[in-house]
Amino acid sequence: MGGHLRLLMQVAFRNLFTSKINLLIGGIIFFGTLLVVVGGALLDSMDDAMSRSIIGSVAGHLQVYSDESKDNLSLYGDWSGEPDLTVLDDFSRLKPVLEKHPNVKTVVPMGTSGAMITSGNTVDLTLARLRDLYKQRAQKGESPALREGIDSVKAHVQQMVALMEQQKDKSRELLSDAAVDPQETEALARARSDAFWNGFEQDPFGSLEFLENRIAPQLPDGDLLDLRYVGTDLDAFQKSFDRMEIVDGQRVPQGKRGMLMSKFFYENFLKLKSALRLDNIKQERDVNHKLIAEDPQLQRWVKENQTQTREILFQLDPIKARIATERLQKALGSQEASLEKLLSAFFTTTDENFDERYQRFYQDLAPLLELYRLRMGDPITITAFTRSGYVQSVNMRVYGTYQFKGLEKSAMAGLINLMDLMSFRDLYGYLTADRKAEIADLQKGSGLREVSRADAEESLFGEGSGNTLVADATPGLIEDSKPFEGGMGALRREDLAARVYSQDEIEKGVALSAAVILKDPEKLQQTLQELKQAGTDAGMKLRVVSWQTAAGFMGQFVLLAKMVLYFAVFIIFVVAIVIINNAMMMATLQRVREVGTMRAIGAQRSFVLSMVLVETVVLGLVFGAGGALLGSGIMAVLNSAGIPAGNEALYFFFSGPRLHPTLSAGNLLAAFVIVLVVSAISTLYPAFLATRVSPLQAMQTDE
Amino acid sequence: MNSGVAQSPIVSISQVTKDYTLGKVVVPALRGVDLQVHPGEFISIAGPSGSGKTTLLNLIGCVDTATAGVVRVAGQDTKQLSERQLTNLRLHTIGFIFQSFNLVSVLSVFQNVEFPLLLQRKLDKVQRRERVMQLLEQVGLAHHAKHRPNELSGGQRQRVAVARALVTRPQLVLADEPTANLDSVTGQNIIDLMKELNQKEGTTFIFSTHDAKVMNHANAVVRLADGKILDRLTPAEATRAMAAGAEAH
Repeated sequence: MGGHLRLLMQVAFRNLFTSKINLLIGGIIFFGTLLVVVGGALLDSMDDAMSRSIIGSVAGHLQVYSDESKDNLSLYGDWSGEPDLTVLDDFSRLKPVLEKHPNVKTVVPMGTSGAMITSGNTVDLTLARLRDLYKQRAQKGESPALREGIDSVKAHVQQMVALMEQQKDKSRELLSDAAVDPQETEALARARSDAFWNGFEQDPFGSLEFLENRIAPQLPDGDLLDLRYVGTDLDAFQKSFDRMEIVDGQRVPQGKRGMLMSKFFYENFLKLKSALRLDNIKQERDVNHKLIAEDPQLQRWVKENQTQTREILFQLDPIKARIATERLQKALGSQEASLEKLLSAFFTTTDENFDERYQRFYQDLAPLLELYRLRMGDPITITAFTRSGYVQSVNMRVYGTYQFKGLEKSAMAGLINLMDLMSFRDLYGYLTADRKAEIADLQKGSGLREVSRADAEESLFGEGSGNTLVADATPGLIEDSKPFEGGMGALRREDLAARVYSQDEIEKGVALSAAVILKDPEKLQQTLQELKQAGTDAGMKLRVVSWQTAAGFMGQFVLLAKMVLYFAVFIIFVVAIVIINNAMMMATLQRVREVGTMRAIGAQRSFVLSMVLVETVVLGLVFGAGGALLGSGIMAVLNSAGIPAGNEALYFFFSGPRLHPTLSAGNLLAAFVIVLVVSAISTLYPAFLATRVSPLQAMQTDE
Repeated sequence: MNSGVAQSPIVSISQVTKDYTLGKVVVPALRGVDLQVHPGEFISIAGPSGSGKTTLLNLIGCVDTATAGVVRVAGQDTKQLSERQLTNLRLHTIGFIFQSFNLVSVLSVFQNVEFPLLLQRKLDKVQRRERVMQLLEQVGLAHHAKHRPNELSGGQRQRVAVARALVTRPQLVLADEPTANLDSVTGQNIIDLMKELNQKEGTTFIFSTHDAKVMNHANAVVRLADGKILDRLTPAEATRAMAAGAEAH
């Protein structure tokens, strides 16, 4: 028996390199295996990296949300915007149900939504500072320090107006006079006039109002930014998602309202654009080894920096402008007096001077500038449409910026800003306890009472309605002696920022979903089913989904790529089967006499069959092993060198700036099985033909 | 020299016909052949090409079946046997020597000779080795055991083939024109070798040839013409008859 197989193997091995056909078949198998090994390992590694990205940023292992939701949860947004989810009424009821499961480590409440914010207009901001100073003067009286401050900011405003007029003149050269609004021109001229500034001190607030209303809007400066945020229990979030780290500022103090802005968002949308462009050029040059001389994108950034100097000019008051001018003159060795021209010359960067200019920018110019439009600790107003469609706005302090380790450059993870759950509920249009109290106060003050919808008709028009709601409400609203309760709302909102909420308050309320972190992620599917059951048992209609499903189209992406690869592999191997089949037929025909001889000598058909099969399998294994070996080698090189994520979209898939792909035994096994199956299938028919060779054919002579 | 006459014949053919169908034409290759071969005989089948020599050998070698009549090999009616059984009969009872040697080119001399033993699965490795080396010794190729067939001369290859045919100790060895691809001296040596083995081992040999010098070594010469047996002669008679036939032409 052993001799039998040994003989077959020997025949197979010796036949391996005797025929060109075998080399052809071997080549196909070689490259097929290479593709399966490398492609499979790359995609698996990417899948793995991306799952770490998704799980580690916001998704957790599982997401739980209401089964009554119209849409499916999609944490990264969907093609059509935010999905329509039904809220989980009371997170504090859900939490214990989930936490009871032995495999659940933590449960974090969440809600994802978006709002528009404006990043602020430079003139507006400067005028606001001036108004503050005048307010102080009105309250405390004038002091030399205050006077100096007022004069400095006033000079800054004058400078701004002067700059704006210059720009107006410039645009007048380009556009026809008709395109310029005469009212704007008139307002500018007035703001430039000495008469206006001489009279400023007599009526500072009136003058400020004129500037705020007529001048500031002429500067289309503030961007409208799309802010995506996840409202969550910030402490639980930070504990559960250990890849999260604070970069600037500090974490939101426990129980307080506040926002942690994503570092990526902060850098890309709130940083001074000239500085951002310098950063971008530096990164492209250093990381991706691009050259300004060659890359059109870099050239565009340089060009933009040369021309778009206004943002810097507006920020500089006369003293700082003078300092900047001196520094630039020194740096450039120039006598040019115009700061605008100096800046333009300074930003004319080439591959030779870029590094020096970059350093000088941050050393000389940056200290004079506000590099970010928002400082840590500043409040921002977020205005969002609630689910029912009315506008709700909430002020909150931005405590710091955060990032997910490894995903610093990923736009996908970097566009998620974090806020406390209370603010989220306000913005989402759900009443927090504070809001309820506020409204109750309002109702009391105005004499309103709550009327359920069913009783509304009865209350309004029924016999028993002795007092009309309107009549009662009116006096409350116009009573001068009592402060308007509604006005308290704004004050209270100020208080809200300082309020500390207990864990109970945070958890008792709505959430859109809950992220579940597992102790053993291997048991994900099992836990998923059990949690679903646990929800049903507790009388809650829950939808429990894996991180992959929760990530929406993002989660499907690698799956899609895998399908494409396997389809390609499938096609290659179908072609391979056809080619191998044909080649083996030819090979069999060439060997008719040899097979006939064996049959004549006494070999059974089964022997011939196994001989051909063993031969192809050996062929497959030898060349397959070669392909797998080369594939492993390639993967080893890639593993140590890493594949750079060329663009920022790839950071998310790579879970960092470089993907270090690994080869798993599974990839090799898959390649092994595929090769075996393909070579066996493609040889069945030729092998069958070989068994039909008659021993008579041994007798045929060569001629 | 041999006492085979008393024994039952190893090959017994009676009233055998064999027709080949070429398209719509039926070509008769054998038309009623009777032949008895006894153990230990060394028989030559002679005749011009197309006379049916190869067909007759194929029937005896169980690689083909008769259209009519009975072919018995080692007492078995070949018509009654399945394909598997015929293969087994060939493996255990018959040795083949081919005109073009038909060695497996990728196997060594040793492995070629060992091949039938592996198929038989009767002997273990040590026994096989002993048997193969013994036969290679007998054919004088013990030193070439590790060579590949393409490293050998034609005569050496045919000697390997002889060793392969005899390694299973078959009762019957069939050789179709074993010397046709060899020069006369080498061919002579092969026939000498076969004869020697015939005498030593008592193996029955049936070989076809059209070479009169080769025929001389046989105990008997069966002459075939047009698918019929003309006569069964001694070698001397056959030589004379052939000479007469040549003169008649």
